[in-house]
Amino acid sequence: MKFRNIFVYWRTILRVAEITLRHQWNDSFILFSILVQPMIIAVLALFMLRGLGGDYAMFVVVGSGLTGLWSSLLFISGNSINGERWQGTLESLVSTPTPFEVIVFGKNLANVIQSLLSMTASYLLASLLFGYTLQLVAPLLFIGSVLLSIFAFISFGLIIAPLFIMYRGIQQWQNAMEFPVYILAGFLFPIAMLPGWTTPISYILPPYWAARALHETSTGGADLEKIMLAWGMMLFFSVIDLLIASRLFKVMLYKARVDATLETE
Amino acid sequence: MRVITNNLRLFWRGTLLSYVALFAWLRPTTYAASKILMPLAQILFFSILGSYGTGGSNVDFYVIGNAIQIAAVSGIFGVTMSIGGDRWAGTLPYLFGTPANRLMMFFGRAFMHIIDGAFGVVIALGWGALLFGVDFSQTNLSALGLTVIITTISTCGLGLLMGCLSLLTANVMFVNNTVYFLLLIFSGANIALDTLPNWMQGFSQVLPLTRGIAASRALIAGGSFAEVSPLLVNEIGIGLAYGWLGYLLFKWFEYQAKRKGTLETV
Amino acid sequence: MNSIEVSHLRRVYRSTIGVIRRSIKEIVAVDDISFDIKEGELFGLLGPNGAGKTTTVKVLATLLIPDAGTVRVRGLDIVKDAQEVRKIIGFIFGGERGLYWRLSAIDNLRYFASLYHVDPDVSKKRIPYLLDLVGLEGRGNERVQGYSRGMKQRLHVARTLLHDPDILFLDEPTIGLDPVGAREFRGVIRNLQSENKTILLTTHYMFEADSLCERIAVIDQGRIVALDTPSALKEHVSDLSVVEVETFGVPEATVNAIRSLRFVDALSVEEQGQRQRLLIQTPLGAEAVPDVMAALDGLRVGRVTVREPTLEDAYVRLVGGKE
Repeated sequence: MKFRNIFVYWRTILRVAEITLRHQWNDSFILFSILVQPMIIAVLALFMLRGLGGDYAMFVVVGSGLTGLWSSLLFISGNSINGERWQGTLESLVSTPTPFEVIVFGKNLANVIQSLLSMTASYLLASLLFGYTLQLVAPLLFIGSVLLSIFAFISFGLIIAPLFIMYRGIQQWQNAMEFPVYILAGFLFPIAMLPGWTTPISYILPPYWAARALHETSTGGADLEKIMLAWGMMLFFSVIDLLIASRLFKVMLYKARVDATLETE
Repeated sequence: MRVITNNLRLFWRGTLLSYVALFAWLRPTTYAASKILMPLAQILFFSILGSYGTGGSNVDFYVIGNAIQIAAVSGIFGVTMSIGGDRWAGTLPYLFGTPANRLMMFFGRAFMHIIDGAFGVVIALGWGALLFGVDFSQTNLSALGLTVIITTISTCGLGLLMGCLSLLTANVMFVNNTVYFLLLIFSGANIALDTLPNWMQGFSQVLPLTRGIAASRALIAGGSFAEVSPLLVNEIGIGLAYGWLGYLLFKWFEYQAKRKGTLETV
Repeated sequence: MNSIEVSHLRRVYRSTIGVIRRSIKEIVAVDDISFDIKEGELFGLLGPNGAGKTTTVKVLATLLIPDAGTVRVRGLDIVKDAQEVRKIIGFIFGGERGLYWRLSAIDNLRYFASLYHVDPDVSKKRIPYLLDLVGLEGRGNERVQGYSRGMKQRLHVARTLLHDPDILFLDEPTIGLDPVGAREFRGVIRNLQSENKTILLTTHYMFEADSLCERIAVIDQGRIVALDTPSALKEHVSDLSVVEVETFGVPEATVNAIRSLRFVDALSVEEQGQRQRLLIQTPLGAEAVPDVMAALDGLRVGRVTVREPTLEDAYVRLVGGKE
């Protein structure tokens, strides 16, 4: 049901994304999460991983970009519904004939695009300021990985947002979920460094598969099998997340209309 | 005698205010998440990252560095918010208006965060021992304890300055977060100072935390108190200097506000 | 043909009190109300603050789910067919919220136009037309942040008309507007009515309901106490006259004493700064004056008039003379 919506409402999604971008492009909290923090992490990693040699600078650029993507997803997309409520615009949105999850899809699209900036910023930092030469091993496959990652992150965000609304107990762990995903998804080091029992947890995180695809196509061996596996998993999780999200939104909106929490908490 | 009790009373009131602001609204689980889990997450991330880069022989370096740096959470976020928080809550005018000894109120507020911060560092070091096998057997524990407290005091001093700066800008969280992360670079928590370019090293030397981390590493490796005491003296000196600057800024702000009549937040 | 059918609607608000020992407090906002609105009718929902007007409108706008009863808009159920209902209704809650303050008016309208699936070609023409209609032409590119309250209200109207709905819910739309703005607004409402739209208007201004609405439901404390045309409602008080007495500083006890006089049907007090105006409804008319004067013995009294009742007086009587 949800997939059909993406095709039916594509124009709306783009419009929502455009408006969201324009509304929040100079928000300082967002700029911190997607620009400042990833760049500082990039600087740290550039120093700390010097011993690796090879194309470690590109690895850092991609990895720190991913940290920006995740932080943006966690804090900005996670709060996208709450944000509308505080602004007083949630009721206006819910009462339109457009399914609410389509609107949130558009908002997440804006956030993900905005946070891809962080990868670009790290790239510029590393190449211009620090003078590294950066190359992609498989540029076309890299772009394909980026597109699939966008889709995977948006879909993942589509279940985080309603969960945060429905279970306030989850949101208090929000801050504590930032670094653990950096670790478990292997953004800046391979998960082989982690104890074996954490591997299953990594496998069910869409960001992990995004990281694998992006690293493999930028600094890895461009092994087609590995890349296809990663792409497949991202697609798989996106589909599952969209299905779950449909359900979650229905439940969340029904509950909000029973409890009268669309306007205030 | 009356002066002393008065000052103590103000000091205590400042402490209580901070305590309430800090804990009254927190649920136990949120507090646990931020005090126990977040430090662990940070230590894990940077230690593994460091191991990846250096081949794993040097984990202690990162564990200790990040564990001590955790003090900055209380120093920066805690103290800054408790001063900046006045503005939002609209209680700043009352603070200005009292003829009380502002110094006492000021430092009274920081006191709670010093305790809270030191506590956070101890927990972080505990994780170091538990999960990373950091060996404390050679350590002069009381000297280490003193180092932790001194380091926390000096980050709180920075926090006091930043708190007063926050009265001038609206973007408190942006500045706080940026400074917190920059400390990860400049304090030597994750990068050996002698590998930094010279201009960056100069910056490290005027920041709190730098000497505290160096002293902690030395002590845990078995160094003596005598070895680290120059570092500690400088560390607390820096912290007090920042605190004093913050206090001066606070007084200047009060003077300006009374002159222009702009007490409330933008 | 009924556009809207409300049948035994009931809506309760629950709030929890206390942190450690929690108890649930229930407030019945709307208690078993029923009414129908015909197609093309301008229907008024009149009542004091807290009567349940906004709650009713929110249920109709598919933003709240009833605890009991059914509500149908053009035959569609507002719970089961919410998505379909949203396509054909528009509503205004007024106030400052509901718009994106960092964006311009035109951007806001473009945004909502796409959310309401208005064809891009259509909205290109309609947006300037609507801005013109509500008197915001030339100011469409300014940020909503800088708009006055009245301008925001008018932008709400433009927003609500983007998809040209046939059914409109206007919840206290003139509140907070200056008299000129409010009068212009009422003109807009009359225009909408002439386009044969079905309109539900809530208000606590009696004269507004009287001048605009074809039928009025008077609601108080969650219940409908009367439902009829304005003239029929005035019949409620046709047997009464109203004695108006201007006083200066009348104590509560005296007011209650007058209220309990056997020929007084209802009494309300209008505060006008230092003065109060007592509005006494009584079948006796001028004959009641001596006894009223006696009750006010010793107090300074200004003008005394006896007049015909208005809709306002009917309202006071229906709502119990508490306001």
